Formats: sequence, C-alpha cells, structure tokens
Amino acid sequence: MSKADFAVETRQLSRDYVSTRRSHFIGKKDTIVVRALDRIDFGIQEGELFGLLGPNGAGKTTTVKILCTLLEPTEGQAFVKGHDVVKESAHVRRMVNMVAGGERMLYFRLTGRENLKYFAALYDVPRKDISARVNGLLELVGLSDRADDEVEKYSKGMKQRLQICRGLINNPEVIFLDEPTLGLDVNIAKDIRKFIREKLVEEQGKTVLLTTHYMYEAEEMCDQIGFLNKGKFVAIGHPEELKRKMPSAFSFEVLATNLTDEVLDGLKRQKFAKKVITTDYEAETEGEKINRLIINADSDRATSEVLNYLATRHCRVISVNVRGPTLEDLFMFYTGEA
Amino acid sequence: MFFTVVLAEIKKHIKQYFFSARVLLWALLLPLGNGLYLYFLYLPFAARSVNLELNSSNYTLDLVGFTLVGQLLYSFFTMMLLAGASLERDREQGTLEAILLSPANRLAVLLGGALANALNYVWLVVGVLLSWAIFLKVNVIVNDFWALFASIFVSFLSFVALGMCLEALSVHSRRGVVYATWLQEPVMFLSGLIFPLQSMPRALLPFSYLLPLTFGLISVRLTLLGGASIFDVGIPLAILASMVLIFLTLAILVMGYAERSAKAKATLTQI
Repeated sequence: MSKADFAVETRQLSRDYVSTRRSHFIGKKDTIVVRALDRIDFGIQEGELFGLLGPNGAGKTTTVKILCTLLEPTEGQAFVKGHDVVKESAHVRRMVNMVAGGERMLYFRLTGRENLKYFAALYDVPRKDISARVNGLLELVGLSDRADDEVEKYSKGMKQRLQICRGLINNPEVIFLDEPTLGLDVNIAKDIRKFIREKLVEEQGKTVLLTTHYMYEAEEMCDQIGFLNKGKFVAIGHPEELKRKMPSAFSFEVLATNLTDEVLDGLKRQKFAKKVITTDYEAETEGEKINRLIINADSDRATSEVLNYLATRHCRVISVNVRGPTLEDLFMFYTGEA
Repeated sequence: MFFTVVLAEIKKHIKQYFFSARVLLWALLLPLGNGLYLYFLYLPFAARSVNLELNSSNYTLDLVGFTLVGQLLYSFFTMMLLAGASLERDREQGTLEAILLSPANRLAVLLGGALANALNYVWLVVGVLLSWAIFLKVNVIVNDFWALFASIFVSFLSFVALGMCLEALSVHSRRGVVYATWLQEPVMFLSGLIFPLQSMPRALLPFSYLLPLTFGLISVRLTLLGGASIFDVGIPLAILASMVLIFLTLAILVMGYAERSAKAKATLTQI
C-alpha cells in the first residue's frame, strides 16, 4: 500500500525524551533518555475509528502529538493523508485537529461562543461562515443555551463538549481524541461516545484516532484497536479478531476474600490457569477485603479446579462470573497490567 | 488571514485582561501612584526643572512633565517586557498547544498579543495624563506636533516589537517572565527614567543605548516638554526605527527557532 492509501500512517516512528538531572547543586548533569515510542508502524483507513490503548506511559499521547505536529519524532516518519507531519506540517495542520481530555485548551474567561470564534479565526474559517458554524457546533453538542456564559462557569462535561466543538471548528478530515471522556460522568461520557461514533464517523465519515484507558469505550466504538505497551505495539487489529487470537479463550472472574500473596503465587503456578490477573476492587465483606481475579484458561474445567484450590486455602468465594474474553482481558493479557 | 488572526488575538487578550471593573481601576491607580511617588521624591530638592542635553543643545524641561513622561513610558515598556507572560499563561492552560496546532501565522499571533498589551495601556495613559494635567499642571511646550506624534509612534512600535521578541522567547523557555522581571530595575536605572542621561556614568552609557526606552524617553520628553523639532530628535528616532526592524526580525527568527525547539524537546506543555 502506498502512503496515501491510509488516512494516517506511521513508519518506524520513535520518540525519545531527554532530560538532565544534577545529583548535587553544582554537580555534573546526568542525561536521562526515555524511549516513549519504539519504531511503531500502523495505518488508519479513511473513515475508520482507531483506538489506541495502553497503560500510563505507553506512548499514546506521544503518538497523537506527533501526528498532529505538536511534537517531532526522534526517528521514523508519520503521514496524515499522505503528507509528512514534519516536512509538510503547515499542510497537515489544516487537515487535523485534536481534543484532549481534562479542562485544557480553552480560555476560561471567554464565553463558549468567544472561544469558538477565536479558534475559527486561527483556522481562517471565512468570516461569513463563522457564526453559522459556531452556532451549528454549539447546537450539535447541546450548548446553545449556555454559549454566552464564561467557560469558567461551565461544568466539566460542558467544557469537554466545548472542547469537541473546538476540535471540529476547522471541519478536520482527521481528528485526534486524546482520552476525551476522562473524568466525566457516565451519562455525559456515553453521550460523547455516541456523538463520536454516530455523528463524526458514521455520518460525517471522519477518520478518528482515539486514545483511552477505558476498555469498554474502545470495545463499544472502535473499528480497529492497537495495544501500546512501553512504546511498542503488542497487538493490533479488529477487537473480535484479537479476542479470537487470545491463546486461552476461556475466561472467568472470581471475587473472593483472604487472597494472600502466597495463595495467589500458588494459583499462578497451577497448570489449569494460563494467566491469573489481580485487579483493584474496592469492597469489603464482614470486614474482609474482597479481591478480584481474572483467570484465563483453556477450558471450563478450570473453574472447578480454581474453586477447589481456593477452598483448600480457606478463601471465601463471593461470586464467579464465567464469560468470553473481553477487551480488558486482552489488555491485561498483552500488557500484564490491570 | 494575517489581520484576522491579529484582531482575534487582540480581542481575546483585552477580554481576558479587563475581565472585571476592579482590574480596570487598579490598572489606572497603580501607575498614577508610582508617578506621584517620583514627583514627591524630587520635591525636597526644590527643583522645578531638569536640564536635558541632546546634540550639544541644552533643553530645560518641566520637572513634573519629565517625571510624568518617564513614568508613563517606563510603565508601557514594563508592560511590553511582560508581554511574554500571556504566552506563559497559554502554556499553563494548554491553549499554547491549541494555538500551535492551528495553521495561524505565528507572527500574527505575536503581534496580536503585543498590540493587545499596548492597547490595554493606551486608555490608562489617557487617564493618568488627565489626572496630572488637572492636578499637577504640567508645562507642555509642543512646537512640532508631527515630531511628537513620530516620537510616540516609533517608541510604541519599538516597544511592541520588543514585546513580540519576548513573547516568542516564552514559547521556548519557561523563564521568559522571570528574565523580564529581572530586567525591570536595571532598565529603570539605565534608561534615564529618573535622572537625565548626561548624569549617567560613562562606562554604563553603552548599556543605556541598547534600550529602546532610552531613545523613547529622549524623543518624547524633548518634543512634548522642550519644543524640539523633528530634526532635533532625528537621531533618536532613526535609532528607534532601526530597533523596530531589528526586533521584528528577531521575533520572526526566535519564534521559528522556539517552536521547532519546543517540539523537539517536548517543552510546549511544561509549566
């Protein structure tokens, strides 16, 4: 495939972060190099929603920033619609936009409308179209009635919706969404996910790269996903396809008490359990902490084996939930993290 | 597109700066207070005039006017020194990334920011001038209006161009505002704000001549208070005009370098 066949493409893309640290006040500086991205290759088709998943520090935001020209790669190349993001950055900037999670990239002392008009001017939106476009976007995200209030008076969800408007002000062909639902209420996050999938991708045919921590979000929305871990892709493909590739296709969740390190180490050594992952679970029963285990196995026979094992170690099983592998299982399988 | 961006920047900055009536009041009172402080500083010396030399000519200027012009231009100069602070704020709230993500002309962004700072200052100057004229009765001698206009205009441009340089530096480094703050005291001393330049130790004069404020003070004071003509202040005006060109060129070069460097070193979001 030629580079123009993909809306977004990277080739052997790497990025190092270099920092210096002094051990003493007047001592010699030590240089520390951290490789955030390590020769990654991937492509996103036109009109596709691609999910970039990975733990903190995996390189997701670095990838997004390189692709939208805010950061230069140390090695390798990246293209948006066939244009090199370093050599043709001015051209790329006209075609893309980015929405970041959290309360950034907006002027809090300006109103929502003033913010959008300001960014419309930066993107050279024709003067006669600005009002219509701004009003259209505000209506699209349900902010029309608060458009003339200062952004500092907005709730977190409203700021995020305004951010999405800012990201769409230049009608970009490719949009990068860096954890767009971070810290939002369930209902608002759901609305935003629906908006991205239905309006941006299905209705307007935009190419979207989404980074997220939330597995259900990626599962619900993405056409393709890529798992990044320590700057490298560990898996890439369609969610269902990736699930089928999981070596142990049977997976179940156990909630139990008294799961000491010794018990867990013993469980991990058992043949019937291919992979045992403990995850955070903030709950107690009768003063005892409940732990959550996700166990991957070859067959359903492993369920009774695990229950027997836990019973002999005086662990109280609260519930067992047998299910097929989820994206969360895949994530943990590939990254080894919960 | 250039002027659309400049205009959008100016609107944004003014709205952000004058976000409440209280800010307007303080912005008016603070320089007025500083000016009064300087005026009363001179009072015990029983002097009512100051001698200022230029090209072997000696001008006798009204002390109040001398102090007033000095204070007004210095406040303006300081404001432009701190112009970089606006991009510093942008860096903190993530809007610097949003600006650099756009294809907007970088020079237009800098110009808009610097002009907004300058315009924020204009109304304040009017307020202070009126107060001084009413209460302190400055002895104004203007023989050549165009010389006065040129002096104010070129000083204004040179300060704005310097402000653009400092804004561009803020894209590169988080210390721009710190350096600008450090510069305030030496500038106050070296520019001839408090005393005439002929009293400056000779060894320090070369540093004085590096500052646009020095030449701005000479030309505005002489044309407003000493009745100097455009020919009398030709040299300081020519130097100021050259400084405008130098600072503009520097702003373009520094901005290009600062953006590339910030993207290479990943410092766009560092606070």
